[in-house]
Amino acid sequence: MKILRIAAEGASALTAHKLRSFFMMAGTVVGIAALTVIMAIGKGTEKKVMKRMENFGPRAIMLIAGGGKDLPPPDMTVTTLKLEDAEALRREIDGIEIVSPMAWSFQMGVHREGKQYQAVVWGVEPSWHDAWNWYARTGEGIASGDVATLTRACVIGETIRRELFGDADPIGEHVYINNVRLTVKGVLERRGVSPMGGDFDNRVVLPITTAMRRVMNIDHVGAIRIIVTNPSRLHERTEAIRALLHERHHITPPEEDDFRLVTPLVIADLARGTSWTLSLLLMALAALCLVVGGVVLMNILLISVSERKREIGLRRAVGATRRDIVAQFLTESLAVTFVGMLTGCVLGVGVCLILRRLTPMPVVLSWEPVALGLAFALLVGTCFGVQPARKAARLNPVEALR
Amino acid sequence: MVGGTVSTPVLKGISFRIDKGEYVAIMGTSGTGKSTLMNILGCLDRPTAGHYRLDDTEVVTLDDEALSLLRNRKIGFVFQQFNLLDRTTALKNVMLPLIYADPYPADAQERAERALTSVGLADRMHYKPSELSGGQQQRVAIARALINDPEMILADEPTGNLDRRSGLEVLAVFQRLHGQGRTILLVTHDSAVAEHADRIVVLKDGSIAEDQKVERPHDAEAELREMGGKEVAP
Repeated sequence: MKILRIAAEGASALTAHKLRSFFMMAGTVVGIAALTVIMAIGKGTEKKVMKRMENFGPRAIMLIAGGGKDLPPPDMTVTTLKLEDAEALRREIDGIEIVSPMAWSFQMGVHREGKQYQAVVWGVEPSWHDAWNWYARTGEGIASGDVATLTRACVIGETIRRELFGDADPIGEHVYINNVRLTVKGVLERRGVSPMGGDFDNRVVLPITTAMRRVMNIDHVGAIRIIVTNPSRLHERTEAIRALLHERHHITPPEEDDFRLVTPLVIADLARGTSWTLSLLLMALAALCLVVGGVVLMNILLISVSERKREIGLRRAVGATRRDIVAQFLTESLAVTFVGMLTGCVLGVGVCLILRRLTPMPVVLSWEPVALGLAFALLVGTCFGVQPARKAARLNPVEALR
Repeated sequence: MVGGTVSTPVLKGISFRIDKGEYVAIMGTSGTGKSTLMNILGCLDRPTAGHYRLDDTEVVTLDDEALSLLRNRKIGFVFQQFNLLDRTTALKNVMLPLIYADPYPADAQERAERALTSVGLADRMHYKPSELSGGQQQRVAIARALINDPEMILADEPTGNLDRRSGLEVLAVFQRLHGQGRTILLVTHDSAVAEHADRIVVLKDGSIAEDQKVERPHDAEAELREMGGKEVAP
């Protein structure tokens, strides 16, 4: 095929002028490599965000005592969030499956036979297990009877069990918190370490009534976890809850709230941080790099057309049509950008692997950057190759040979 | 049969005919329309008026693509500057016109080898132009002109960049090709070169001043022998 023979001519011109070819593809290589890395990091971040949202619960809303915008721990000094608020939520907000208030205290000593461990103590209702999808691994969880009768019972996390009981069976044994003797009725499933590095398993869970009246001596709760029935109406529910609390706590904006509502969307925004805007900016830079690379490519091709006037004239004299000349120069620019794209992809993947090794940055490789790179390379190769190719084809063979 | 009529402001009232198998030198000092005539005869340019018939094809009305095709099939060019592609072997240089030939001959490489052998470069096929002398380079160019078995070989000052010996070698190749029945058109300003042809057309101010047969063309081989030294291969 004639077109293949012409393409081979274009390709051999590239291998014959290696340095020139290198400069022609440099922009594409760097641009595509950057694009690959940025997209891999973006994808990794998104995966991390999805996981955080999944962990938080896609249908969950946390109503936390105290204003401000940060995540837990809550402001322990705010005492305005009451059990009655939970009651009101159950009564007045539609589309809610679970409302589970929690009284919580951080860093309470749990004692047993001279051993002590600093635990996070939560007073909860039986619905807590469903709200967090977190159940007793052995023994039993908190039951409604426990809440009604202020039972002196608790369910302990894995870390507490290990630290205070070792190999012994903890069920039916006793621990002390604030000198209140509690019977261990179960051990929670392991949850491991949070993304921020906190231990999930250093919990002790009590009936909420026992916690408030016997252990902590408070009449407010720290937080209420709400599970909505339909995740797509999460925002709507959140706003209804906000309105209800404004009314109940007599808050009129712009007065500052004495509570905050954390939703999976808030979690996602926090997990993304500034990385999204940053990677958008970097993507724009990578695209700019490709365009600049394309301009360089075009310039070098234009120069090479002038340099190779004689060659073009000769080819025309021995029978190349204008179209044949266009085909040859387009082959050159497309081959350069294509090879540049492949090199860029390989380089980008290499950088990603190194990043994954050496940094905690989330990196997920995928086919999208390769496809995007290919499309970009074809676009750049064509757009910036056409002009030089046409210039070459328009040369008058008589003048080109002079 | 090669023949035609050409009339332009540069070339005025020129009319001549070149038959198949002729070896014609077109002579003239610079500015006499020599190059213009050569470009028209080589189908690189079209006259603004007049006719040019190449092997029964009226060239004047053809478009750019058809002219390219015609050059590819019927004309073999030899230039003063050789115009070989550097970084490309002699063999590949000779095969260059075939890239644009449709259909591509199955025996392309053998044809190129035969052409190179016929100009005495059988042992230089894989040399690059920079590794060849000027005379050898010009002979590679002649082999390239032969590859498509053209109706006419058009040589523009083919000895202009060569020393006397190399020039004679090239002229000897032309005479041998002429002996095999090739039609050759040699454009030159040098009468000593033109004397090797069978017929000389002299241009002056865009018109034909003289058109005559050469009674006893110079024999390039004999001149080389006179010069002594090594023989032209083969």
